[in-house]
Amino acid sequence: MRKTEDPLQLEYGENIGALRVVRQAAPAGAASFSATYVGPAGWGFDPPGEEGAARLVNQLVATATRRRDRVALARRLDRAGATLARQTSPEAGELTLWGPAGDWVELLELLSEVVLEPRFDPEDLARTRRQMLERQLRQQSQPASRAEFELTRAVFPPGHPYRESGLGDRRSIARLTRSRLERFHREHYTGGGASVIVTTSAPLSAVRRAVASHFGSLGPRSAPSLRLPPLLAVRPRRVTVDLPGRSQVEVRVGGPSIPQSSPDYPGAYLANEVLGGRPLLARLFQRVREQNGLAYHASSHLDSMRLGGIWSARAGTGADRWRKVVPMLEEEVARIRRSRVGAEELRSVRESSIGEIPLSLESTADAHELAVDAAYHELPPDYWSAWPARLRDVTAADVRRAAVRAFDAARSVTVVVGPIGARPGR
Amino acid sequence: MVSERVPRPRLEQFRLANGLRVVLAPQPESPTASVWVWYRVGSKNEHPGITGASHWVEHMLFQGSPRYGKGEIDRAIVGVGGQLNAFTDTDFTAYFSTVPREHLGIPLDIESDRMTRALITDVEVQRERTVIHSEREGNENWPEFRTEEELYQLAFRVHPYRWEVLGRRVDIERLTGAELREYYRRFYGTRNAVLVVAGGFDAREVAREVRRRFSALPDSGGEVAVAEVEPPSVGERRSELSGPGTTPYLEIGWRSPALRDPETPATMVLDTILGGESRLFSAGSGWGRAGEHPSARLYRSLVDPGLAVRATSEWRPREYPGLFTIQAQAAKGVSADRLESAIDGVIARLCRSGPTRTELDDLRAKVRRGAALAYEGASRIGFRLGYFSVLGGPEYEDELYRSLLRVTAGEVRERARDMFRRDARAVVQYHPTGGEADA
Repeated sequence: MRKTEDPLQLEYGENIGALRVVRQAAPAGAASFSATYVGPAGWGFDPPGEEGAARLVNQLVATATRRRDRVALARRLDRAGATLARQTSPEAGELTLWGPAGDWVELLELLSEVVLEPRFDPEDLARTRRQMLERQLRQQSQPASRAEFELTRAVFPPGHPYRESGLGDRRSIARLTRSRLERFHREHYTGGGASVIVTTSAPLSAVRRAVASHFGSLGPRSAPSLRLPPLLAVRPRRVTVDLPGRSQVEVRVGGPSIPQSSPDYPGAYLANEVLGGRPLLARLFQRVREQNGLAYHASSHLDSMRLGGIWSARAGTGADRWRKVVPMLEEEVARIRRSRVGAEELRSVRESSIGEIPLSLESTADAHELAVDAAYHELPPDYWSAWPARLRDVTAADVRRAAVRAFDAARSVTVVVGPIGARPGR
Repeated sequence: MVSERVPRPRLEQFRLANGLRVVLAPQPESPTASVWVWYRVGSKNEHPGITGASHWVEHMLFQGSPRYGKGEIDRAIVGVGGQLNAFTDTDFTAYFSTVPREHLGIPLDIESDRMTRALITDVEVQRERTVIHSEREGNENWPEFRTEEELYQLAFRVHPYRWEVLGRRVDIERLTGAELREYYRRFYGTRNAVLVVAGGFDAREVAREVRRRFSALPDSGGEVAVAEVEPPSVGERRSELSGPGTTPYLEIGWRSPALRDPETPATMVLDTILGGESRLFSAGSGWGRAGEHPSARLYRSLVDPGLAVRATSEWRPREYPGLFTIQAQAAKGVSADRLESAIDGVIARLCRSGPTRTELDDLRAKVRRGAALAYEGASRIGFRLGYFSVLGGPEYEDELYRSLLRVTAGEVRERARDMFRRDARAVVQYHPTGGEADA
């Protein structure tokens, strides 16, 4: 009988050209497998004047290949019982295929077809453009997405990859011709700086063989590099946008943060969990919702990427309540930076964070997320196995120090978006 | 050859003397255990004046019981790394906790405590009122929510499906603690509940533990069947809304069968052909499958030619006859009327010719593959077993699966002709104010 493997322990195979190969054991008894290609294809790489390129390419890559049009690709996935998910961030473009474990080799080949041979059909491009334009309108019209948009615009200077949402604008989308998108694809869906991560019960040797066979032509082209320009002082410190006719006001307090490779990351992770990341235990949820009943959602988020990060405290509340909620968010952010967390509060959040690891291994898809995260950030193979010990080493002083660095007060902004011009009272 | 049964985990099922039904799905290798309690209580059991009561009671079951004071349920589960939540629908309310397997006793204790003894104090009801308002307000920010709420109000005049699960604003404003306690005492109880435990445990030990904790609860839970029967719809019903938004949005609804009705499999086929989603048997790592379906008819007829940026159908499994809906968001410059006319064309073609052989072949492959991967992970197992248990029993899943695979093209065409009648539909058009983007 085969020994049960630890899905937290990753295996890094020898690179294929510049492409990293990572294998993770599927959870015991899993009937599915997952595979991801992740590469330097985020919207931080959008050429000036061509904003929206990364998202458009990512969507088109997942739509059709030279061998299969959009209907044929959809049918192939459906008949296999597989799904193809796509994602972009400022730094990366990602494609994940999930399907039956027994078909992993054929489906990995299909993933390579998608990554390497996109069709960029003019009809697909026209349709995807229309969808992007509607998303631009939605981003401006919806309080939640508008608040995110205003936050990064206020915090990051022009030219900073975290400033934009990747949706571009009407003009930049119009400029994105097929040839420009093909060029973006050639330059950014490369082997350099990219990884293929496979969560399967098959051994690393078989994974590497399959990746070499299907992704080998990606070649050793060097990865494009992304640069973060220096951050500037933030003015103004509060941004308000009145969107009449909506019911809820969205509040954000946030700013730039640290990368996941920072030595302060474990402390910052726990600081965020105490502040609002672990809502049912966290200060924001307890104060805003449980004690004062002012909002349905109140939380905080720390998005640490390769080069830097973004943090925010968030709440959605009524037009007659946002004035009470804003100072609560600001006070709690100041408190986590100013004072050490109590021993019991730290213990509770830390043990909760460690205790939840088995929940991340319930299914292949859950476990795979950990592997992609570690592989993308080029973390050591035992990163997740060692994660509990790293958290246990964090002291209250570490949390405070990390909070000061991760929740940069000098560059934070408060954003309020929604029906703020409405008269109080219902 | 794919099995004609859904490959479910091995189950142990029993019923306690007080009426509580128990379903255990041991998965020896699972590192987690998931506890679900499904109550056959939902917004169907409300009436005007107390709409939203089921959802509000759901919130209150986290606010204190004899053994767990306010906040202690959250701390007990999250403190060991677990996750917990709850959700309310028209036909049921479900509570779940997933914990590392060694902590299985905690959620069992919580559920046995709050099944019949939640406190629901006036102070906490009052504090929760604004939270519930806030939840509703968050939804109201979306044109899709406003449109759907209007559609159900339009399509139903008698049956409780006509109000939204969150309840009407006016009822959220006035519901009292006494009314919520009365609602809870009346409907929550052993006879209306199904307890599902899935994951890493020994079935005999957990069965013993369940009996120890739940057998002492009183035999409780009043009648949850709905007496109101919605009369047949006569004539098309239409409504127009306006408000913030991007481009015109349209939703059309036709009366559809209840989950256990014989017409359900053919209705599910129509949903898959039009929208691409084989609901209940979808591929994907979660429940259902988000995203686009370029092979579906609505997508090909509306999104491909540039009339819409999104278009899909939805049939929701319900205990009583509900709605089959089509939703579409217009592309810039396209009117809701033009979109509606295009949808009419799609429906007319389907009624005339039925599904193609390829569509049915694809559907069967999709359903078989989706079902094969439906039970992975303790939380998903708990969800799926509870869902089918509360709406028909785990065995009903196999019955539905087999029926779905055997539906013929003729049956689908007949179903389409019977259901998609213009004189029995409701239509809501949502027009964005201030031009196509008011922002």
